[in-house]
Amino acid sequence: MPFAIEINKLHKQYKGSWSPALDGLSLNVKENHVVGLLGPNGAGKTTCINILCGLVEPGEGQATIFGKDCVKDTLAIRRMTGVVPQQIALFYNLTAWENFYYTGRLYGLADKTIKEKGQNLLERLGLDKHADKRVGRYSGGMKRRANIIASLLHEPQLLILDEPTAGVDVQSRAMILNFLKEYHSKGNTILYTSHLMEEAEQICDEVVIIDEGKFVISGSPKELVANTADCKRLEDVFLHYTGHSVRD
Amino acid sequence: MKKTLATIIKEWILFKRDIAGLMLLFIMPAILIVVMALVQDAPFKDYQEMRFDLLLADNDGGSLAQEIKEGLRHSKNFHVIDSIDGHSLSDRELKALLLTGKYKVGIEIPKGATAEVANSANTIANNLSKKLGLGGSLPVREHRANMYIRMYFDPVAKPTFRTSLNFALDKYITYACSNELIKRVSKLSKLEGDSSADEDFGKVFEGVGLKEEALNDKGSYTKYMNSVQHNVPAWAIFGIFFIVVPIGGHIIREREEGSALRIELIPNAHISVAFGKIMFYTMVCTLQFIVMCCIGIWVMPLLNLPPLYLGAHPAALLPMAFAIGFAATSYGYFVGTIFKTTNQALPFGAISIVIFSAMGGIWVPIELLSPAMQKIAMLSPMHWALDGVHELILRNGNLQDILQNIIFLLCFGLCLWLVSIYKYNKRGHSVQ
Repeated sequence: MPFAIEINKLHKQYKGSWSPALDGLSLNVKENHVVGLLGPNGAGKTTCINILCGLVEPGEGQATIFGKDCVKDTLAIRRMTGVVPQQIALFYNLTAWENFYYTGRLYGLADKTIKEKGQNLLERLGLDKHADKRVGRYSGGMKRRANIIASLLHEPQLLILDEPTAGVDVQSRAMILNFLKEYHSKGNTILYTSHLMEEAEQICDEVVIIDEGKFVISGSPKELVANTADCKRLEDVFLHYTGHSVRD
Repeated sequence: MKKTLATIIKEWILFKRDIAGLMLLFIMPAILIVVMALVQDAPFKDYQEMRFDLLLADNDGGSLAQEIKEGLRHSKNFHVIDSIDGHSLSDRELKALLLTGKYKVGIEIPKGATAEVANSANTIANNLSKKLGLGGSLPVREHRANMYIRMYFDPVAKPTFRTSLNFALDKYITYACSNELIKRVSKLSKLEGDSSADEDFGKVFEGVGLKEEALNDKGSYTKYMNSVQHNVPAWAIFGIFFIVVPIGGHIIREREEGSALRIELIPNAHISVAFGKIMFYTMVCTLQFIVMCCIGIWVMPLLNLPPLYLGAHPAALLPMAFAIGFAATSYGYFVGTIFKTTNQALPFGAISIVIFSAMGGIWVPIELLSPAMQKIAMLSPMHWALDGVHELILRNGNLQDILQNIIFLLCFGLCLWLVSIYKYNKRGHSVQ
């Protein structure tokens, strides 16, 4: 099976930082898979995503998405990738519809297309009745769902999500996870980060655990649990490999 | 182009929802130009068109005092008060009234002033008579020193006002002295039987006069500077540049909220979005300038101020306003890009505008600044803005006359925009 993402010995050290954010990280994400990128705080998950979507240049190493280099082919990569940032990347004083029209137009989509896709996504993520409200008046869960829709209007082949369920209620989380499963079932690839192991166990075909900027282990959640001594859940595996010490 | 248009539409939606922002952009500058025009109306008249109450204590009662009183009464600037409650004003009363601060100026004509003038005139007439061989002689006595017409000013009176009153009085005294001299010489001439001398000597004062004409190099009428002509464009430009504050805040807020990240993640969107944003606010600034001009034309006369005169080519104000708006908006974009927080950007933006305005002649006309400051003023975009507007509304200039100003402002804006884009690209972005 071809790879959607290939990361080879990525190294990144930020100015003024004592230790590298990424220290020779290598990993691959297969096409049509849901891959969870897991790691404690400061493991390098967000830096990895930033490099993949062309926001940050790596110091060394290479990353490609569908064969396109993340440094040289940023524009092509942004066209085929949808990124759901941890921040709510929406205009709070615009309604959901206004946000979608603006985002869609910037992607070069016709208004008709935006309307069709937007309506469909709004219904699937349970926001269709609130689409004419300003995003600033949404609850945390609604904002997260709207944030996902804005990243999907241009129908990306790869969806990258950075902690998409952080701070949302159980109902919203369930809706988001169901939506991601459905989206994956249509043949799309998903890379997502989370601190919630249960969630990763639930939706991921494969998880990659990284720590201190380095690859630690990868495999399907079931495989990892089965192959790690004294582990009954993914969380045990995670703690087994990353330790119990609290990270800053 | 579609992305730029989409951004303009988005900015319009956000703009119309921000009532406080609208108030800041239109109502506040409107209040500013009205208040400044009213406040600076008097200083701009520079005591030339104003009528002041002038206290006069006449201890002389002679022709010199009469000449001065008549001269002052015929002047447009003074209302002479030489009596209170039916009796002549005394020196003590004059000083007491001045100390109350109600009156700004007082003149005290000393006793014997006319006699002293007559004595001087007699002395000169006798000398002339001797040199011309007229033969006659008039009585003279020894010249008294320390004979002064004293002027008293309220401490707040401007030096220019003091000087102008000084000149006016000097003129009346000179006229009175000349008159006395003519009378004396005439008297001596009559002694020799020349009856037409009176009439001929009087013609001395009908010689070459002064007449002020206001023309520009095109030979057309030039509008005089007044409070409205200076303050409406000057403070409208200041108000336009104050757009730096909302734009700077807007850029930082979008960055902090995360919506700027959304733009960053869309291919080729950032430059189009930045251009759309700048174009939208440039249009807002142009509209703001038009509104301020309308206030100058129609509201100022309601406040007993002269209406704003837009010059012989008012249409040329539009590209000028557009260039000013572009420079101001780009500056706001620059401030919002280079600073990380609103706490850094907003004070810098606001204070730098005040500095630019002081340098650029918004507060006081640049002609009044020192030569060094006049050179430094060239660095202020507000100088180019105000100079361009003045060229149109004071000197009846046309589009060609303000091309240099427009080019400077557009280049200023473009440079800041390019620096902002460079800085934006250098700044780290993160999905977090």
